[in-house]
Amino acid sequence: MKKLILYITLIIGSLAFIYPFYWMVTASLVPENEIESLTLLPHSISFNSYIQMFEKIPIGRAFFNSIFVATMVTGGVLVFCSMVGYALSRLRFVGRNLIFYIIIFTMTLPFQITLIPNYIIMVKLGWTDTFLALIVPYLINAFAIIMFRQVFQTIPQDLIDAARIDGCSELRIIFQILWPNIIPSLVTVGIITFMATWNEVLWPLIVIRDENLMTMPQLVTLFAVGGRAESQLGVKLASATILALPIVIAYLFFQKYFIQSMASAGMKE
Amino acid sequence: MKNNKLLPYLLVSPYLIHLMVFVAFPVIFSIYLTFNKWNIISPMEFIGFGNFLRVFQDALFFKALYNTLKFLIVHIPLQIIVALLLAEILNQKIKFRPFFRAAFFLPVVVSGVVVSMLWQQLYGFDTGILNRMLSTLGFGKVGWLVDPNMAMVSIAVMATWKNVGLYVILFLVGLQTVPPQYYEAADLEGANHWQKFWHITLPMINPTIFMVVILSTIGGFSLFIEPYIMTGGGPLNSTLSAVLYIYKQAFTNYHMGYSATLGFFFAFIILLVVVVQKRFIEKGES
Amino acid sequence: MKNVVTKVNKSRIVLGLLVLFCSLLTSCDSARENDDNSLLYWSANDAQEVEFARQVISAWNKEHSEEQIQLQPVPEGQSSEEIILAAVVGKTTPDIYANMWQGDVEFFAQAKVLVPFDTLEGFLEFIYQRCDSALIKEITSSDGHIYQIPWKINPIMMIYNKQVVEKIGGIPRTYSEYFEACKKYQKDNDGDGYVDQWFGYTNVRPIWSELRFNFYLLYLAASDGASLVKNNQAVFNNKYALEVFRFFEELYAQNYFTQDRLASGQDPFLSGKIATKFTGPWEIAHLEKFKPEGFDYAYAPVPVPDDHQGPVYTYGDPKNIVIFNTCKNPLLAWRFLKFLISDENDLLFLKLSSQIPPRKDLLTNPLFVEVFTQNEKLAPFANQARYIKGVDSNEVIKEVFDIITQEYQSSVMYGVKSPEEALRDAAKAVDVLLLNM
Repeated sequence: MKKLILYITLIIGSLAFIYPFYWMVTASLVPENEIESLTLLPHSISFNSYIQMFEKIPIGRAFFNSIFVATMVTGGVLVFCSMVGYALSRLRFVGRNLIFYIIIFTMTLPFQITLIPNYIIMVKLGWTDTFLALIVPYLINAFAIIMFRQVFQTIPQDLIDAARIDGCSELRIIFQILWPNIIPSLVTVGIITFMATWNEVLWPLIVIRDENLMTMPQLVTLFAVGGRAESQLGVKLASATILALPIVIAYLFFQKYFIQSMASAGMKE
Repeated sequence: MKNNKLLPYLLVSPYLIHLMVFVAFPVIFSIYLTFNKWNIISPMEFIGFGNFLRVFQDALFFKALYNTLKFLIVHIPLQIIVALLLAEILNQKIKFRPFFRAAFFLPVVVSGVVVSMLWQQLYGFDTGILNRMLSTLGFGKVGWLVDPNMAMVSIAVMATWKNVGLYVILFLVGLQTVPPQYYEAADLEGANHWQKFWHITLPMINPTIFMVVILSTIGGFSLFIEPYIMTGGGPLNSTLSAVLYIYKQAFTNYHMGYSATLGFFFAFIILLVVVVQKRFIEKGES
Repeated sequence: MKNVVTKVNKSRIVLGLLVLFCSLLTSCDSARENDDNSLLYWSANDAQEVEFARQVISAWNKEHSEEQIQLQPVPEGQSSEEIILAAVVGKTTPDIYANMWQGDVEFFAQAKVLVPFDTLEGFLEFIYQRCDSALIKEITSSDGHIYQIPWKINPIMMIYNKQVVEKIGGIPRTYSEYFEACKKYQKDNDGDGYVDQWFGYTNVRPIWSELRFNFYLLYLAASDGASLVKNNQAVFNNKYALEVFRFFEELYAQNYFTQDRLASGQDPFLSGKIATKFTGPWEIAHLEKFKPEGFDYAYAPVPVPDDHQGPVYTYGDPKNIVIFNTCKNPLLAWRFLKFLISDENDLLFLKLSSQIPPRKDLLTNPLFVEVFTQNEKLAPFANQARYIKGVDSNEVIKEVFDIITQEYQSSVMYGVKSPEEALRDAAKAVDVLLLNM
């Protein structure tokens, strides 16, 4: 009996988390005037909302922009932060601990204080309305450095010594020797970085005004808030669905990795 | 062999450069900006403490703080209770656990933009599902996003919906670290489920609860895209969040100096709140 | 291990190339094709204006092979003001911009990025011939120069559903008459206990730009075009503003106007959900395309307080032309603009886009009279064009609007303050704002 109550709670809970998305998808697939009365099953299917959306905004371009930016940032974070993490964990040098403490400290710095000055820096460098503004500030991630440092500390020293004897440079050690041994961490940092970059919207709203360079969440936001959807609900929901689709598909396939990544990230906090 | 001395510094250099350009310099520049008036295209104008004085006279600044507080008071307890409840249930011998876990976690990975647009419709006064349901059940409609007293609460509920999955997972991990012997010992002493929960589970997952509180607090002060999309800060500025206000002052009014000052003040308050929370919880632990 | 060297080097090379590629991408977008003599002209990006610009520019280019003009629709973005600001910051401004809202000009003028027209030969005579002196005073900046050419206006009037208004007993002219009409038209059609039919509607979003189409509009009508701010002070806390506030307060209190966003689905004016709207001539094209069989509409002046005498003023939503100081040849730009706003081209513009040129000879010049006689829907605007106002020339006029919007909403829609209190608080806040400027 008690089990039954538990299952019912879980099922109600799951429905509460899934139904809104289901509603969104069906609402984007029905004719505009049916949305008001929609609950479970649509009466008629129409792709009109999607057709109009593709006509009104360059969503394909925004998709490409998001993919490009997220990939570059993720790649950059994996490369640069493992370099820094490696140095902090396996090399001895003056200032090693100082840098580590600075990293911890800056993690606590709220972004509200650096937001406006960073925008102004972009303006002064002439990077507004360029991919540089979207990518470069995100190439270093304190959290990633901490994670890599932690995992590199667990690598047995013999592995590194053997590679050194063979004449490998430090960079080769990191990327050719160590990386294959820390795949779970790479996946964790990779997934979290990719997801966070993909969903990032405040910064693009600030530094990008040119529609051709906007990221997908940014474009959808402006579409929803601005007047261009001409208050057609179905079109707005279609854009929201398209925005959600890539991450949800990735999530459905790599669910385990997503959840594990966030969980281990949370624990490291 | 001779580059060994320089090498660590080379490896760390990306971080150091990034630190200088995107952290250290902005903080210093931010402080400099607070003493100036600037709209980007005209030259900067030094105004001393003008911005500071303006903050203290600014009703909207205090409104934003009040709104954030309102958000946190609803969001944090709700988050903890729901996440803990679901985690507790999932911790039992349940079949299909991966499915439920995946369902709860789904809103976490989806963009805040999608969630905001979606819930804006669900909360719609005439056509939203929630009010339609209430009508059919015989209750009156609720002004979820149009009632100045209700709007921030609605956003807090939505934020809970979006993030609770993450905390369910975190709590699950925490729950699973509790050694089963403790429970077995309690069983022997005849403790019921509630007593076990209160005296064994809760203290052991205190660090996780603490983390949830801190993360949610920081999240509350970072609220932007939700009010931006759903209400534009209204009705009557009841959903004007800290970051939204900074954004408006900077990019609608082009008061760069003033918005930097606001950022500075809000950052300071966040740090203060987090430190206080830390002290409070640490005292509780001892 | 040796081939590992090349692998790592290769990835570095690839990374470097990618970064290079990025920076190329960025410079490509911002490069302006500009040979020394041609001027860049930015038009609004809706179809009719682009077409108009295309026609005028190709006509000019044919006659002036040495002095070419290049057309570019203003880049897409959230708001055109943002785009212009981004262009100023990125130093990619055009030479001529032909869609600047009158209220934005002062901001850019104060930043010294615009060319003062009055320093260009022949401008002053031309402008005094084209526009009346009240308008010219309005567009003069605080430093005495004129930085904009009044190009087009869209006077806001009250559009009404002819069938409904006939049934109700005539076009409401005063506030009392308007209330009467509202009471008669208010209905709950589907019996769910909630009213779903209102006589009128105005946008309820708490955004400064919407204020122009409700409070500010009626304030101008009630006060015959009074200012909001003058000499760096708030001057709007007067009986006219109070009457307008009270008008809207009553409308919302009696549910003659709804507080909801009339958003999804069909056009509420066409479907009968509302019978009037405060809108401009742009609505005509949309209505002609979508109106159902038997639906007829017309425009009338907006309602005024019961004791109002004389003609009814309104908000003109003026968009004007500016020249940026990055222009290497302002005199050439001016000559082109004289052509752009010549009689024939003004006529062409009126015909193509239904937007009104702010000329003082609209009712006397036979060219224009003909257009208005032929197009009866557009006719009321010809007369209304004599009684319009834009906004006061002030760097932070948008913030002034924002402050008033917040107070307007708190009093009129949410009943948190009385109209007197709201106006007083608004005036106080505006004074503080202007003092700090």
